[in-house]
Amino acid sequence: MNRRHYGTLRFAGAALWAVMVIAILAPRAHALQIKRMTLSNGAVLLVSEEHKLPMVTVSIAFDAGARRDPAGKAGLAALTARCLGQGTKELSAAEFNQKVDFMGSSVGVSAGRDYAVAGFTSLEKYQGATLALLTGILVEPGLRDSDIERKRAETVAEIHAQEEEPGYTASVAFQKALFGDTPYGHPQDGTADSVAKLTPADVRAFYHQYYKLGSAVIAVTGDVRADEVKASLEKSLTGLSGTVAPQAAPAPPPLAKGLDAKLIDRSVQQANIIMGFDGIARANPDYYKLQVMNYIFGGGGFASRLVKIVRSENGLAYSIGSVVDAGKFPGAYGIRLQTKNASANEALKLILEQMRAIQQHGVTDSELEGAKKFLIGSFPLKFDRQSAIAGFMLGIELDRLGLDYADRYPKLIQAVTRQDVQEMARKYLHPDAILVVAVANLKDAAINTTMLSQVAAGDADAARKKQ
Amino acid sequence: MFLGAVVFCAGAASAGMTDAVKTETLPNGLKVIVLENHKAAVASFNVFYRVGSRNEQFGKTGISHLIEHLMFKGTKKLGPEEFSQIIQANGGEDNAMTSADYTEYFENINRDRLSVPISLESDRMANFDPREFTKERAVVAEERRLRTDDQPEDALDEQVRAAAFVEHPYHWPVIGWMQDIQRLTLDDAKAYHQIYYSPQNALIVVVGDFNADQVLKQIAEAFGSIKNGPKPPPMPEVEPEQQGGKRVELRHAANLPAFEEAFHVPNLKSPDAFPLEIASEILSDGKSSRLYKKLVVEKRMVVSAGAGYDMTSFDPNLFVVSGQMRPGVKTEAAIAEADAEIAALRDHPVGAEELQKAKNLEQAEFVFSQDSILQEAMMLGVYEMLGSYKMVDRYLSNIDKVTAADVQRVARKYLVADNRTVGVLIPTGVLPHQMGGGGAGGAVRHAEMIGELGEVTR
Repeated sequence: MNRRHYGTLRFAGAALWAVMVIAILAPRAHALQIKRMTLSNGAVLLVSEEHKLPMVTVSIAFDAGARRDPAGKAGLAALTARCLGQGTKELSAAEFNQKVDFMGSSVGVSAGRDYAVAGFTSLEKYQGATLALLTGILVEPGLRDSDIERKRAETVAEIHAQEEEPGYTASVAFQKALFGDTPYGHPQDGTADSVAKLTPADVRAFYHQYYKLGSAVIAVTGDVRADEVKASLEKSLTGLSGTVAPQAAPAPPPLAKGLDAKLIDRSVQQANIIMGFDGIARANPDYYKLQVMNYIFGGGGFASRLVKIVRSENGLAYSIGSVVDAGKFPGAYGIRLQTKNASANEALKLILEQMRAIQQHGVTDSELEGAKKFLIGSFPLKFDRQSAIAGFMLGIELDRLGLDYADRYPKLIQAVTRQDVQEMARKYLHPDAILVVAVANLKDAAINTTMLSQVAAGDADAARKKQ
Repeated sequence: MFLGAVVFCAGAASAGMTDAVKTETLPNGLKVIVLENHKAAVASFNVFYRVGSRNEQFGKTGISHLIEHLMFKGTKKLGPEEFSQIIQANGGEDNAMTSADYTEYFENINRDRLSVPISLESDRMANFDPREFTKERAVVAEERRLRTDDQPEDALDEQVRAAAFVEHPYHWPVIGWMQDIQRLTLDDAKAYHQIYYSPQNALIVVVGDFNADQVLKQIAEAFGSIKNGPKPPPMPEVEPEQQGGKRVELRHAANLPAFEEAFHVPNLKSPDAFPLEIASEILSDGKSSRLYKKLVVEKRMVVSAGAGYDMTSFDPNLFVVSGQMRPGVKTEAAIAEADAEIAALRDHPVGAEELQKAKNLEQAEFVFSQDSILQEAMMLGVYEMLGSYKMVDRYLSNIDKVTAADVQRVARKYLVADNRTVGVLIPTGVLPHQMGGGGAGGAVRHAEMIGELGEVTR
């Protein structure tokens, strides 16, 4: 069922701000019933049965994300995850792929920034066989030199391909400038240079060190029975015993000195801009207040100020939005947009002005109400697909939100006041200490850092003269 | 949802997911399709208009997509962007999509709030009154820069389609040519809306956790009195048979070369559609597919390779095979390997196990697609616009009937050199100075092809 691929969406910002709506609550008791169990190897198992469709989704999170990459080995977590998908001691990569495809299942392992997630989606009738393939690559992975070297070469080529994307280049530069040598400072896939130097021994060592079931969380949803799932996991998911030692949180990065611009010259029609500062960890109690502030400022699509000002009223961008990237460790608070080279200064100025405006004047009652209604009311939409349900369950456990999170969430959001929102804007937005990364045709964009610094500092008169 | 019971019967043809569908056609010609799905406490409300870039005229390309944007910019009752703000304040998400064939608007929302999108969608069907026109046109120009002009492979795809289609409007991109976008006027948009946004040209599909009869009643009340505009003109263009292979080259700011081969093929109105679907599965679905095994694993030539075919295109469209080179690989060498795989489909029947694997993949993907009510609604809507939503139930049995001989026959008929357009992306580097001074202007990168085709199409 190939869907046409040449359609064009009205607004692509959704992916950007979907991050913030990870979990929000139903106004009424909703259908999602979660059972929490612990396997004898220590892994936590969460199951949500859903019998209306004959399919099953399983996701297993390991403490093996890119933040675990050793110094000088950026991309090792990602490469290890990819190599785990290359068959078992008994099955070659080709045999493994053939078996997966023959059932119409999808099985994979991929490393995100915080965790590596292994999982599958299959028809109900193939869940047993697909689970056996998944546990096979986790418990007895092939990790043959030839496969590792092949995946390494593929990864290097993919990084070269990604580097053509101005948005990717901007992200990598932003992360590096903001987080330096700390765990969030490098691209998850590594760089072409760092990956080329990784060895099969590195991959095997990373696997043995971080794929430990005592620190794993398993989410299962779909046409399954919780007790049967538990029994079959007890039987097949063996070995990998022990836990992963906790990782110390990095020291927060220093504030940028004024407006710190990193400008990268490219032959592009649009300036790809990311600007921002370090933000918060998911566990920070400010999380909920900051979500509300962010919705109003730039995360809430057409209800947000940035989309209103930059897109609707000035026609300067198709996609613009802000994101609270709250991870295991503090991530970025970032604003991202693309605008034709010649409008870069104007768009940047508008955004900086909006930062100061929300800090100085706060928000209105109706903005606050709108944000709360969306954040609370859109909760049931998160449970439309099995993959989303599995991701939600992993989040509940990994972020220690508790099985009653769905009941607590609306209260946490409802309690946020206008004063809280303004406080968040003052605490987390720093127009006068801001990192600005732009991948643009620099001659056309002619980014005026002097003028922008004055806007950022609130010196409107001086800024006007500089324009 | 009775799908589980049905999908797994061999050759299930008599029953299916659409058994529970209820339909109604309002006196003004607006057809409504509703399907209860009680999986989650939400509903997906979808309005389709049978208009896309396929209905546009030379010089006014992109107007269908621009109107999609303008539909959010106000009505006689609502101000710009108030539509989305109201949906979001009700805990809903909304968006819209334009394709070559149709334009779709959707809202996913809590079941208790379904009356909100019903009333808002009826308002903008009847009371279209967009403001901020020039700003929104500028937004669309930014969208084009983002999606096409700064995306080498998408820019190549645009050129391949423009070369493959000469007379049929699939010649131009859905988003429109940049110069056309910048010349479109508010009057163009209003006139176009008058014709194509009538109830008789629309279709409503609702899937979710509600009572179907109640929702049908609500919709009849909200939309029943909307008047029709003039009847849309027929779209008679048929692309003549291609008389020999074509080749286009695009020089573009990029580091890695890429290719795209396109073959004219029929849509689901032809019995050849299902074997073509199987052919695309065999070439590129999964890591055991032929293109992946040959070009990625064995020859290590490409970053990625794929085949694409969409039988639900309203008019016959393209079967596409594409790939992006790894550094240092010659594009012609990768094209030769891809062509060898296509030739193998012509020269040898597919083995029984490989054929069954393709069918199993289709079956699984069909079930997976029911996991989202939005996807379910889209599927019903697209098939209804093509003739009947009931065709959804025949999909798997038609796939199941495909034989190895069928696949070989369609490969010999369509996947041949005389029916092919090859596009090659020639990278000029990503640094401005590498462009030889050409990087500063507008969308000049299309100049070569537009010039070449201009003589043919004008």
